[in-house]
Amino acid sequence: MSKKLPEFGKINVPHDRSVPFGAITPAPVHQQDLFKTSNWRIVRPVIDNDKCTRCLTCYIACPDSCWSFNDEEEVMEWNAGFCKGCQICIHECPSDALSAVPELDFADGVDRLEKPF
Amino acid sequence: MADEKMLTGCSAAAQALKLAEVEVICSYPIRPYTAIMMELAKMVANGELDAEFVHGEGEHAQLSVVLGASACGARAVTGSAGVGVTYAFELYSPLAGGRYPVQMTIADRTLDPPGDFGSEHTDAMSVRDQGWIIGWASTPQEVFDNTLMGYRIGEDPRIMLPQMTCQDGYFISHIPDKVKVASLSQVKEFLPPYSAPHPISTTCPVSHGPQIRPDQGAPMDAQRAETFLELPGVIKEATKDFNRIFGRNYDPFLEKYRLEDAEIAFFIQGAHSNTCRMAVDALRKQGVKAGMSRLRWVRPWPTTEIAESLGHVKAIGTIETSTSYGGAMRGGNLIHELRASLYDLDERPLTTSFMAGLGGETVWLEDFEFMAKVLLQTVKDKRTSKYVYWIGFED
Repeated sequence: MSKKLPEFGKINVPHDRSVPFGAITPAPVHQQDLFKTSNWRIVRPVIDNDKCTRCLTCYIACPDSCWSFNDEEEVMEWNAGFCKGCQICIHECPSDALSAVPELDFADGVDRLEKPF
Repeated sequence: MADEKMLTGCSAAAQALKLAEVEVICSYPIRPYTAIMMELAKMVANGELDAEFVHGEGEHAQLSVVLGASACGARAVTGSAGVGVTYAFELYSPLAGGRYPVQMTIADRTLDPPGDFGSEHTDAMSVRDQGWIIGWASTPQEVFDNTLMGYRIGEDPRIMLPQMTCQDGYFISHIPDKVKVASLSQVKEFLPPYSAPHPISTTCPVSHGPQIRPDQGAPMDAQRAETFLELPGVIKEATKDFNRIFGRNYDPFLEKYRLEDAEIAFFIQGAHSNTCRMAVDALRKQGVKAGMSRLRWVRPWPTTEIAESLGHVKAIGTIETSTSYGGAMRGGNLIHELRASLYDLDERPLTTSFMAGLGGETVWLEDFEFMAKVLLQTVKDKRTSKYVYWIGFED
């Protein structure tokens, strides 16, 4: 064997891009900020607090627990980090307090168009 | 210290799993691997083995159960054969990506159609790109040994990967041979208890298998690939320890049989290597410089070791025992990676492939003689004239 064989080299994953071992993470008490899942949202639910009766139907209906009740201000609160825009809450709301508004109408809209995943 | 017994490959696997003190077993029947689970079930029922024995409702469930068990910190085992191996397919990548070092014990069986019961490597070979450690034994003794080595390598904190320890159905799984059954103290010296780095627990809650973002996918793939760069070193270490403690003489990656001065060589994995060794001896008696290189682990593929140990051979033929329809050589799988491993040598051996031992057919001594003739002709012609020969269907 005269020639030196190629090497496998090293793979350098920078620290800020490395993923926890096996993607195992400390269990979230409230929400898992390491793995946010809202970046495929096209529309978001916007609430009209005058129409809202605080019946908590949205809280029950949301598959990702993105609606919660704010005791102090007595309003429903929406979690932007995990809402996928499925619109189940809008569909289920008995008092038509929720409406679907395109993500691009918001200054903080998900940046999927600029950074497609 | 070792107790010598006549055991089939299935019994040898069960004996090794008992000595490895597996804690969770998940079964679902499909022959020929079923005999392993039957023996383990007996051991649990008789109180010889303190393990949770779970009946899965299918192979997908089997792998899901061992994933959960491993995530909780248990040493877990499952197994299958043929279409059972493919029915479980969804779970292979999550088990490897989630870093659960479970063991799947396989006794090969052909895939459907047509429901042939015979042995063929296509079932487990189809899992080769899913991030598992995969290797074939060639005797019941090696089944016993690879079962223990599998856990040692897979559970190494630097590795943490699932292992597929394979044996040819019937040829190994159902034919008894002498097996040195090691003592528990030997096994304990070789195989430390399994320690999961982040077990599911009530005192320190963790999330396993969360959704990750697309920009986290590439680094995760790279991190998994990184582990495979480290794996050969860990296999070498484990094999060295194994040889010392159990008095064996395994090469970590390749069994090299009469290769030093060989002009032609068979490249093979699994049971048919036993006939191949006899064929090499017979050819040597006729004055043909033949040799054999037997693959012990197909994942990780021993690229460097192949280039270093086979570079001097003039012609090499792979004995495939698995199919890769429409692949580069229109035959099996081994030839692709063998050729790739030899490509960077200044002087490459000529290579071709033989489709043999498919559907459970025996590869006879005469078949190896035919292959040797092809290889000698290849050497004479200084060129490979055909990529693949279908044994039994050639002129």
